[in-house]
Amino acid sequence: MTRVSLEVNGKKTSIDIPDNTLLSTFLREHLNLKGTHIGCDTSQCGACVVIVNGKTVKSCTMLALQAAGSRVETVESLCDDGKLHPMQRAFHEYHALQCGFCTPGMLMTAVALAKKGKEIDELSVRTELEGNLCRCTGYQNIVAAILAGAKKMRTQT
Amino acid sequence: MKALGSIGKSIKRSEDKRFLTGQGKYVDDINLPNQVYAAFLRSPYAHAIINRIDTSGALGSPGVSLVVTGTDWLKENYGPLPCTSRINTFVGGEKMKVPPRHCLAIDRVRFVGEIVAMVVAETKPSALHAVELIEVDYEELEVVTDPEEALKPGAPQIWDDIPNNLCLDFELGDRIKTAAAFDSAHYIISRKIKNNRVAGVPIEPRGAIANYDDDTKRLTLFNSSQNIHENRDAYAIDVLKIEKEKLHHVAPDIGGGFGVKNGTYPEPPLILHAAKKLCRPVKWVADRSESFLSDTQGRGQVSTVSLALTKEGKFLGLRVETVGNLGAYCGTIGPFTPTAGTARTQGGPYGFASIYYYAKVVFTNTAIMAPYRGAGRPEAAFQLERIIEETARELDFDPIELRKKNLIQAKTLPLRTAMGLDIDSGNFVEVFDQALSLTDRTGFSARASAATRRGKLYGFAIAPYLECTGGGSKEFAGITVRDDNKIELSVGSHSTGTGHETSFAQLLSGYLGIGVDSIVFFQGDTDRTPFGGGHGGSRGMEVGGSAVYEAASTFIKKGRLLAAYILGVENSRLQFSNGVFFVSGTDKSVTSEDLIAQSAGSEVINGEFGYGYLNVSATFEREIMSIPNGCHACEVEVDPETGGINIVNYWAVDDFGTIVNGMLTDGQVMGAVAQGIGQALMEESVYADSGQLMTGSLIDYALPRAFDVPNIRIQYYEEAPTKKNPLGVKGAGEAGCVAAPHVVFNAIADALRNFNIESLDMPLTSEKIWRTIHRR
Ligand code: FES
Ligand code: FES
Repeated sequence: MTRVSLEVNGKKTSIDIPDNTLLSTFLREHLNLKGTHIGCDTSQCGACVVIVNGKTVKSCTMLALQAAGSRVETVESLCDDGKLHPMQRAFHEYHALQCGFCTPGMLMTAVALAKKGKEIDELSVRTELEGNLCRCTGYQNIVAAILAGAKKMRTQT
Repeated sequence: MKALGSIGKSIKRSEDKRFLTGQGKYVDDINLPNQVYAAFLRSPYAHAIINRIDTSGALGSPGVSLVVTGTDWLKENYGPLPCTSRINTFVGGEKMKVPPRHCLAIDRVRFVGEIVAMVVAETKPSALHAVELIEVDYEELEVVTDPEEALKPGAPQIWDDIPNNLCLDFELGDRIKTAAAFDSAHYIISRKIKNNRVAGVPIEPRGAIANYDDDTKRLTLFNSSQNIHENRDAYAIDVLKIEKEKLHHVAPDIGGGFGVKNGTYPEPPLILHAAKKLCRPVKWVADRSESFLSDTQGRGQVSTVSLALTKEGKFLGLRVETVGNLGAYCGTIGPFTPTAGTARTQGGPYGFASIYYYAKVVFTNTAIMAPYRGAGRPEAAFQLERIIEETARELDFDPIELRKKNLIQAKTLPLRTAMGLDIDSGNFVEVFDQALSLTDRTGFSARASAATRRGKLYGFAIAPYLECTGGGSKEFAGITVRDDNKIELSVGSHSTGTGHETSFAQLLSGYLGIGVDSIVFFQGDTDRTPFGGGHGGSRGMEVGGSAVYEAASTFIKKGRLLAAYILGVENSRLQFSNGVFFVSGTDKSVTSEDLIAQSAGSEVINGEFGYGYLNVSATFEREIMSIPNGCHACEVEVDPETGGINIVNYWAVDDFGTIVNGMLTDGQVMGAVAQGIGQALMEESVYADSGQLMTGSLIDYALPRAFDVPNIRIQYYEEAPTKKNPLGVKGAGEAGCVAAPHVVFNAIADALRNFNIESLDMPLTSEKIWRTIHRR
């Protein structure tokens, strides 16, 4: 057991955990943040993507201890006081989710991508989604939603 | 009953918010107090005798409370998981061979991943650790993974009492008439066509939690199931041998199904057993590797397909002989897919006077085969459209003209096909033309020469498809008026991401003229819906939506009596339209919303009409399946240097009858086409000769990613609603999987027209394409 201290969704936490606890397990089981999903055991699906210090990370590939001292953002952080984040709204508008299982990872990847502030187009979004699998949507609406959501995010800041 | 404006609109989904904010509730998000964890020891061999199992190490391991082996299981007198395939008799009249599929291997294992023992422990890591401590003495046996090999004399026998590994054979159509058609034909073209075994891979792995209430002696199972009622019956009645009421089956949010979560599996009864034994909740969620080993897989057929035609290219007859790879056991309805599942739509939308389909269903040392999105119709469409494409190329017919000239003409409808399908509506020629004009044929040569200038090979294909939908034929819908003036709608079918919460509420709102917001939707709970047909066969809207229609009709019928009472008029004078009961020419009227509000708390009304008067339930049972159809086309670019394939354009025109919510329908088409593209280009469950699964993780099993799939341009043909259900809908969920593989394959074949593609089978990986081009 080791004490891990970090900031998750703006809140500081300090918990004793077994050393081999994955960040994904830490978020789901220790902090009860169930929005981070587990879809595979080989770092392929991206359902578990969170943002650590501004960068997207597959939380199933990182130990919680490695995130000590970091700022972690999960899908639960996006909605502000009941108001959906522009990227969440875009996913809703464009029907970019069906079963919703890949959605948290998609959203976090999309938000981090949009925050980079680079010009994006269909092709670059498709390439950036390399690490995120969706079996339901065929990606078309996800790509459209990310383009629209990123645009909204730009105009709002 | 006429619907209001909301039907047909692309209403946004009401379930989205919880998924977008991380508040969805999937099985793995549920934890029950005091729960323990199950883990499974799975066979590392594809075929072996179990001489001895030593569980003492596991039992002594910290935190372990239970270890169960096959011998323990049999002592409990539990039954095997049933096979309920409707097709169950050999052509010769003999009964299908169904070997017992127990939840644990008894004395022999027959595929890699079969469960040999279960361990239950305080934590998941301690359960997994204890699994490692079980010692099994296996005696390896010879293995067969290829279904054609399995049929040969001298092949390893998977079941001692099932000769030649043959579970069943099957025929449909007129053999003699077809033979005569072939005798009279000017041309006969034959090919061997393979349909690759694929994995469904919903991104949420399977999982379940079992709980036992010692007071009520009732079991509860939270399970990632897309078919809770039938699964419950199998688990309760067939396996555990308890009354079905003693098992409460709940499916929370399901992270995709595609057929994989439709049939029964051994893990749920095993953890139900453990929950009862330990009087504690037992949880199990599969790792992805476990899913690859133990989820059912789909497709997996090898067929000899022959087309007979006249000199002018008129189709005379079609003959298909298939061998279907069943895996080591009969899955819940496994034998159905390669038999009737693939036979029904043979011949597609073309006019064939005679067709003969014959199938053998064969055991192999591989995971169990079961329906995967489309289940038989994709195989049939692929067999047909590949042989037509090959015919056109070999005999130098224009592939477009050859297809068009053989399409069934709308004026001949309704008709019954040579396979016995009743087509009541549709216009295959118009759908074909609509798709053709969508593809911008005039721009083709410019696009092709631009590609050629870049050193690429360019190809085009277009093909119609025809399928049949409606899955389980019967469905339930119930309406309950609540005290807060909202109404609850519960339907027995279950969404696996398909948007039922929105579309069913949309229907009810349209029929009753009440706001979508005042409808609360329930699904996935055997205590709330007396029965349901699950999710499969694109039945959600067709059968489930029709049940909602029936419930709404009953509501209006009863509502009319109540309205008459409230308004003090003869009920025969009342009319109902746009959500209002009224007497024409007067100001006497009451809305459905008023009725709901007044009935909810009114003593007088309760006194007069009885409590819960407006609570209604209804069932819908379809008689015959509806026949969705359409025409898809695509253009591909092949890079001869790498063998890489780029799908440049993909067009879809689909006839799903009435479209209730176009946004959701588009989503179904996009998702299913992506899966079809996956099957055509990259997906395959590969077994080594030893029976080891070579594609046991997402590293080895390729799923389409965002850059593998193009934007799809979709149109609907809405002129031909079916009369087989009150909504006029034809199922939309699987069509993309039926239509895409052959279109993609044929476009690549077109791009490779100067090369010998005879030995090419799906998936058309870049390696295979490169080898074809470079003759290596
Ligand atoms: S769970 Fe699949 S990448 Fe993390
Ligand atoms: S919405 Fe189901 S996996 Fe993406």
